[in-house]
Amino acid sequence: MPATAPLDRPQTADELDEVLDRAEAYFGHLPNLVRTLASNPAMCRTVTDFLIQSLGPGRLDWGFKELIILKTLRATGSHYSYGAHERIAADLSVPEDKIGDVANSIWHTSNYFTDGERAIFALVEQIDEDANDVSDELWGELRADWDHGQLLESNAVITTFLMIGRVADALGVSDPVLFERPVEEVVAEA
Amino acid sequence: MAQLPYIEPDEADPVTKEVYEKAEARFEMVLNIFKISGNAPEIAEKMWEIFFEILKDGQVDWKTKELLILKATKMGDCLYCVTQHEAVSSRLGISREKQADIVGVEYRDSPHYTDAEVAILDLCSHVVLDPEDIPPDVWTRVREHYDDGQIVEILTTIGAYLQVSKFGDAMGVELETAFHGHDPVLFEEEPPESPAAQEHFEHFKQHDKA
Repeated sequence: MPATAPLDRPQTADELDEVLDRAEAYFGHLPNLVRTLASNPAMCRTVTDFLIQSLGPGRLDWGFKELIILKTLRATGSHYSYGAHERIAADLSVPEDKIGDVANSIWHTSNYFTDGERAIFALVEQIDEDANDVSDELWGELRADWDHGQLLESNAVITTFLMIGRVADALGVSDPVLFERPVEEVVAEA
Repeated sequence: MAQLPYIEPDEADPVTKEVYEKAEARFEMVLNIFKISGNAPEIAEKMWEIFFEILKDGQVDWKTKELLILKATKMGDCLYCVTQHEAVSSRLGISREKQADIVGVEYRDSPHYTDAEVAILDLCSHVVLDPEDIPPDVWTRVREHYDDGQIVEILTTIGAYLQVSKFGDAMGVELETAFHGHDPVLFEEEPPESPAAQEHFEHFKQHDKA
């Protein structure tokens, strides 16, 4: 049971109408995390907007972003929405074996990944372990394959899902499904 | 050394400029962490909105949130965040003694902390270490003082500062010169656990002496 009560309309504050409309349209329903944050409109609005920004096409391929999210949730031991992100990745045509290889240490040697992708997974693990200690060598590998905007996005995705996982797990929220509409539609709208 | 370039205000795109203007109005300067996020304006725009909401009185007052920020970022060994928020906390009237007692579990027996503050600092420690295993006693004590909306704000504050501290540290974001000369509180009380963070702290102190 969530630590705070999830809210549904019309219990939610009027000031949340706009963001809840936006979330409902984007995800095809209101994710439980959004409903659980709704008792605090300011937090709900800003976190939901950032979540929408994070989950979709960006500077990085969305399918790869989902793998970064899965790696982050796995590295930090968070269970929030893990299955949902596996499903999004699959819906974005990421092969099942590739999704599976992210879950443990196989990514180091898996043929599914490029050196650049592996460098980002190494960044995930290093950020989880000690963000103060990301080596110049790893940054060199990252810069060899990604531009500044992509690296900023990678770092934002990793740390955002570290946050989302922590908050959702503390609240006891579960979202087995995030998108109740085809993700292809989301891609087409972007 | 920062691993990505800082995007200065004169080279920023309109979206980033707007974020910088907002940041400058709130913090009297455009911090390096904002400048580095200018590498992806669409992300900066949404990400910083969370922090603009946290860093003011909300359903939980700003001073209380500063205690959570200090606790969460100290546990993450983030020199950048701890230094800045020691300065902010002082400006908001949180004494040096109170700040110092935030390390470890000193706050539990400190005369500077209320039962409500002890409860949320205990909650903060559990969220940082193992959010899926928060003891019922901690929740009971938190609920004695805070309602659902406030709990959401408390948890979001903790989560957001775990996010931004790792975001900045991973990219090597440097403390602004305005903080040189700052007399450290928390890391003097309890040095960083991370050898890399310890090195950054020693470098910061040397820089101040120079």
